[in-house]
Amino acid sequence: MTSGTRTLLAAKWDASIRRPFPLLVRLSMNRIFYGSNAGEEELNISMGVVLALLAVPGGFVSIFLFDKYGSFLQWLRGQTNFDPLAAALPDEYFFIVLSMAVTGGVAVWWWKSIFPDGRDFANLAPLPIATSSIFLANSVAILLLTCLCAIDVNAASSLLFPFAVGASQPRFSFIVQFAAVHGLVVVLASIFSFLAVFATAGLLMLLLPYSLFCRISLYIRTLIVTLLLATLSTSFAVPRMILDLPRSSHSPLRFLPSAWFLAFCQLLRGRADPAVAELGHLAIFALVSACVVALIAYTLSYRRCFVRLLELTDTPPGHLGVRTSWIFHLLDLLILHTPFQRAGYRFGLKTLFRNEAHAVVLGGFLGLGVVFASRTLFSAFNRSGLTPLPSADVLSIPLILSYCLLIGVRFVFDVPAHLQANWTFRFLLDKNIHESVALGRRIALCFVSPWIFLVAFPIYLHFWGWTVALLHIALVTIWFVLLTEVLLVGFRKLPFTCTYPPFQQSAVVSVIGYVLGYFAFTAATSELESEALLSPVRGEVFLVISLVVWYAIDRVRRSAVEVDQHLTFEGAPAAPFEFLHLTDGG
Amino acid sequence: MLQAIELTKHYASIPAVQDVTFELKGGQILGCLGPNGSGKSTTVKMLTGLLEPSRGRVLYRGEDIRRDLVGYRRRLGYVPEEPNLYPYLSGREYLEMVGILRGISQPQLGKRVDSLLALLSLYPSRHSAMASYSKGMRQRVLLIASLLDDPEVLILDEPLSGLDVSSALVLKTLIRALGQQGKAVFYCSHVLEVVERVCSHLLILRQGAVIASGSTDDIQKRVGHSSLEGTFHHLVEDVDPNKVTRDIIDVIRAA
Repeated sequence: MTSGTRTLLAAKWDASIRRPFPLLVRLSMNRIFYGSNAGEEELNISMGVVLALLAVPGGFVSIFLFDKYGSFLQWLRGQTNFDPLAAALPDEYFFIVLSMAVTGGVAVWWWKSIFPDGRDFANLAPLPIATSSIFLANSVAILLLTCLCAIDVNAASSLLFPFAVGASQPRFSFIVQFAAVHGLVVVLASIFSFLAVFATAGLLMLLLPYSLFCRISLYIRTLIVTLLLATLSTSFAVPRMILDLPRSSHSPLRFLPSAWFLAFCQLLRGRADPAVAELGHLAIFALVSACVVALIAYTLSYRRCFVRLLELTDTPPGHLGVRTSWIFHLLDLLILHTPFQRAGYRFGLKTLFRNEAHAVVLGGFLGLGVVFASRTLFSAFNRSGLTPLPSADVLSIPLILSYCLLIGVRFVFDVPAHLQANWTFRFLLDKNIHESVALGRRIALCFVSPWIFLVAFPIYLHFWGWTVALLHIALVTIWFVLLTEVLLVGFRKLPFTCTYPPFQQSAVVSVIGYVLGYFAFTAATSELESEALLSPVRGEVFLVISLVVWYAIDRVRRSAVEVDQHLTFEGAPAAPFEFLHLTDGG
Repeated sequence: MLQAIELTKHYASIPAVQDVTFELKGGQILGCLGPNGSGKSTTVKMLTGLLEPSRGRVLYRGEDIRRDLVGYRRRLGYVPEEPNLYPYLSGREYLEMVGILRGISQPQLGKRVDSLLALLSLYPSRHSAMASYSKGMRQRVLLIASLLDDPEVLILDEPLSGLDVSSALVLKTLIRALGQQGKAVFYCSHVLEVVERVCSHLLILRQGAVIASGSTDDIQKRVGHSSLEGTFHHLVEDVDPNKVTRDIIDVIRAA
């Protein structure tokens, strides 16, 4: 292509995207992608980075699967009659669930920005643009982003997984056919998940008074995230259940959308008996229904949302926090001793429960905890049922949930909330205050301890008696306290008031640390505890570990220089070097 | 009570404020005027201690505010230019939080907050999230927050922005009354009529430097204009508004 042609094409493309409708589409896409607060909130990551992050899980899982399907490894394992399609069924289901969870999660993240907002109204309504054009542009933007998201989330797995499965197959056409079916199914599952969340938002907006919709929206989103993550835990049971489907007349799979898409996959591969085929047809019916409902709900609620935007307020006029104010006064007497702790605790809890980004992210961590806990519980009872002494898996359940909740709370502490409003704290707080750890500890306590004492303790008491329940809850409490202290080493912020830390630099190390910490905190501890219940002398190991960890934390804290303990409002570390301007003035 | 001595601030070697010096005595209401980009907000941020000067000092009762910033801020009420507040907190929750951080005891705090909310017509919506507040309502919340602990110095940056007529009237009267009670008020605004009516003294900034400072009457006499608008125009504006107006109309018609 000559440079003249290239210039001409570039000029044509430039001219076409500068026309009103493409501009409106781009505006809508930016709003949906970056959210209504783009430029105000500090969690702004470029579109490329987000798309790369969304594609990572599928790619990673696919790479790990090469080991399972490799012909040499099968030969070593003595697997001579290997059916790749049968072996791929659980993995296929996992990819379906993963794509639905990730795409559904993205739709939840975009929940509020799917509809035009006040800023759009203020900017577009006074211009001579027909409302129908804005509506159409927004619809096109949603459609484009849905497709982009569905393709991106599944791109890596659609390329790598078929190659992994077909590694031992002599024909390349096997890989092509497998990839075509896999790609189609996961992309359709993703689109269904996105549209289902979208339809839920539209329907709720349509059916409920707007103020009530705003009020419950946060809780609905948190619930959807938890359900999406909890669906991941079904990947251990559904593939087997789908094989048993012809023999069970009342299978719960009829109510599980991810199972419909697995059945659809089997249908496309020609491996479906009538019961599975029926379930597969349900997937297409559900996809079309979600599409129709989303379209109708969107069209009807559009008028409510955009045309009447000036008549609506974002937030309900309902009373906030009136019924719970006595709890804070009680806590003031019991555990909150200074103005910093009292004000910070109120601010912290209200941010976690009311600010959408924080509640959704924390809900995500809780969902992960539920997934891991349910998987562990499932395997524990599948293996041995109810035993006289709890197995290591059973003992690990409160540890798993505590770990996920604590990591979640610590993670969201670093996510800023309405950073421009933090001037209040910058103005009023003494930077020499050293109470950030005390405050963080109290907020963490509020999230984990009620669940440990009010839920876990009665359950262990009921099934295994006083001794086991008391010992186990004591251990969980000590471990939870130690983990809190470890996570808060070097913490010198008021939660949610600092700029976002430059996480890209340390993200990989942090994730590896969290994963290793998970195994140490849950699996290793519960194994050790299980042995200690049989031989109490081994319990002394816990005492030694606790003292060592406590001593290490204390040493680190004492070794911190004074300036590193001051309250900060900057998440980013100091620059590695700075110009001293030694020649200035001279 | 409050002194600024050669306050200077550079942003990446670009001077925003240069050698600003003035004194604010108890009972004085000092109006700070200047066109956009003249350094008003930077000066305000340095006076509140939110921004550290590149050079110069701010003295409160003869002491550098940096020596005891917390003690200084305890005696300071501040209304920022933009009403940036946490939208998911209610007005009462926000004020309660500010009161706690200021160390006001709980029973006293509750009574004071409720009384001020009622007096500034916010009591009915005190439990609503501030996301649903108008700009004027958020501005009133900020005013209450600044007055909550009976400050000796008040720094108000465009405090009338978004206020309705009656609230603005109340605030103007209140500022004068606070001045009469011996409080020092630093009042930053673009609205010349209000500054003329409320302020006893003026500080006029242009391109980060002080171009006039003193009592309102003195400055007007010096410049030779009877109105503040004329004085301000004489000192600050380097454009002819009539000519610009004509040019704008010409451009619109040509289009």
